[in-house]
Amino acid sequence: MRDLWVSLRRFLFIILFSLAIGAVFIMMIGENPLNAYGALVRGAFVGKLNLGKTLANFTPLLLTSLAFAVGAKGGAFNVGVEGEVFLGGIAAAYIGIHWTFLPMPLHLLACFLGAMIVGALSAFIPGALKAYYGVNEVCTTILLNYVAFYVTSYLVSGPMSAGVANAQSHAVADQVKLFQFMKPSSANVGMFIAIVVSIGVIWVFNKTTFGYKIRTVGSNPLHAEYVGINPKKNFIQTMMFSGVLGGIAGCIEILGVHGYFLNNFAANLGFNGMLASLIVKNNILLTPFMAFFLGALKSGALGLQQSTGVPKSIVDTITAVFIIVATMDLLFQYHKKRKVKMAQKEGE
Amino acid sequence: MHFDKIVNLSLIYATLRSATPIIYAALCAAITQQANILNIGTEGIMLMGAFTAVAVSYLTGSWLLAIIVAMLSGLLMAMIIAMGHLKYGAEITAIGIGVNMFALAFTKYLLNSILGKTGSFTDPKIIGIPKVHIAAFDNNEVLNTLFNNWSITEWFALILIVLLTFVLFKTVWGLRLRAVGKFPLAAETAGINATGMRYQALAISGLIGGLAGAHLSLGYSKMFTENMTNGRGFMGVAAMFFGGAHPVLTAIGCLVFGFADSIGARLQAYGVPSQFVLLMPYAVTVAVLAISMAMKKAREKHKKSSLNIADKKGLKS
Repeated sequence: MRDLWVSLRRFLFIILFSLAIGAVFIMMIGENPLNAYGALVRGAFVGKLNLGKTLANFTPLLLTSLAFAVGAKGGAFNVGVEGEVFLGGIAAAYIGIHWTFLPMPLHLLACFLGAMIVGALSAFIPGALKAYYGVNEVCTTILLNYVAFYVTSYLVSGPMSAGVANAQSHAVADQVKLFQFMKPSSANVGMFIAIVVSIGVIWVFNKTTFGYKIRTVGSNPLHAEYVGINPKKNFIQTMMFSGVLGGIAGCIEILGVHGYFLNNFAANLGFNGMLASLIVKNNILLTPFMAFFLGALKSGALGLQQSTGVPKSIVDTITAVFIIVATMDLLFQYHKKRKVKMAQKEGE
Repeated sequence: MHFDKIVNLSLIYATLRSATPIIYAALCAAITQQANILNIGTEGIMLMGAFTAVAVSYLTGSWLLAIIVAMLSGLLMAMIIAMGHLKYGAEITAIGIGVNMFALAFTKYLLNSILGKTGSFTDPKIIGIPKVHIAAFDNNEVLNTLFNNWSITEWFALILIVLLTFVLFKTVWGLRLRAVGKFPLAAETAGINATGMRYQALAISGLIGGLAGAHLSLGYSKMFTENMTNGRGFMGVAAMFFGGAHPVLTAIGCLVFGFADSIGARLQAYGVPSQFVLLMPYAVTVAVLAISMAMKKAREKHKKSSLNIADKKGLKS
């Protein structure tokens, strides 16, 4: 209980610190920080459209942040979630457009399964490269994100193009479109699917053998090998699990929000999910709340830009400051720092 | 296809030209890697440098001042990483990513608030890095295409490779830095201040990263675009892995990516879809990196096969 209080206090400190830095930036361009923050909150929650936007932003972030957190817990720094969202999305779009011979529930299921498989396969590449050849996964996943983006971009402007001005695919069959319950915003029933999936992920992570293996390999691969877990194989599985979640996020975005594959639709979905996860130090239980917070921030930023003269990028800046400060374990933990120092002295 | 139009003498310069920003980025990552710090923040340092260089060049009209201030801005970013990682125990990958995101958002914000533009910024008042014109080469076609009209920073990249190799492998400081990277405890026992060395490595890395950005925005082009580094920092990190953090080998790795980039640009004229051209450097980077690491692993295995003792390293090592 005390631990929770300490981490909560630390969290509040970080929020206040980031908001203070943000206030300085806002004042630098001659705006009132309080007004700006007020506009931010209004833009996120007040009104059906704004609230709906927040929920629509929250849905993919929930999945991508969990995808990253699960990977991180298994020792994989999977920056490639974004690419997996793209590839999962294109798979869902392809199946959604062409497999209309299937009846409705099967068709929907096929879309999700296709996205999951493609997501998993795309995460398999960096996973296997790291496990067997020691290729740094941060590097490969980031570079493969670009590959995924350009491949999907080619597909929707070439073979799968709808032939309109924007690079986009044909619309998916109506029967697989997810119902949007808060029109005119794009919040859709995909949100509930995402919530169910994330509850499932938390259950798998905490209560099953597979979850135990992920946690063991992530915290101590030598120990894992000692107790008979193959850390290499498990690392790849963790990456693929992460990829599956990314694929589902892509599928929900395509079927729920757009209804077709829009070029570059997943820009920053993976990165923001990673942010959400990093801020809470990849804590699986806290990650969903952070995803909601960032989703609100994202729609709030839009409101901020529209109603005041403050550019949207300031919110991104504040979030980045937030994460830099949050990664510094020993900051705002004077008590712990002293302890660590004392321990170091004793060791010397 | 006109093979001779794709592969000709000017391809060599084109390769070098598109490789240079990556070479700087790779050197930025290599120097910290020698101290066993993976500088994922290279991209952010570089982006910050790129923006600062353009802003200063536009406001003061001096390219030299622009480079110096850009290097200082890189230093500042590197110091954020250094403080976070070395003093406050931040995980190096996490804070590196954090710095990248900060640079991306902050340059956007500054572009908006200082220069009043969104998206990209280009202006005749931006003074680029001058090109070196050697009149003696004018009459010789080969020398003219190969060596004339390089920008100063392109020449300097070559000098920097030699300089860093010398510093790392022929000086006391370099030996100490590598000792800290290989076995910090032993280095400390020998009286080396390991944390101090790490700070110094990150500081130099920041200066080089800032220069990388300045070259990208003032030497390679004469403008600033949001996210203009576009993964070059990560390509640099990949090249650093490819070359095992040795400056010369690392630079050779960069040339491979530069080659993929420039040959792609030529293929575009022959009906290859632009997306394939654009993704080529990234895909080639991953492939080359994978092959080189696999070969390295095989070599190590071969060396160890006769004395197979401490082979069980696990994933993290």
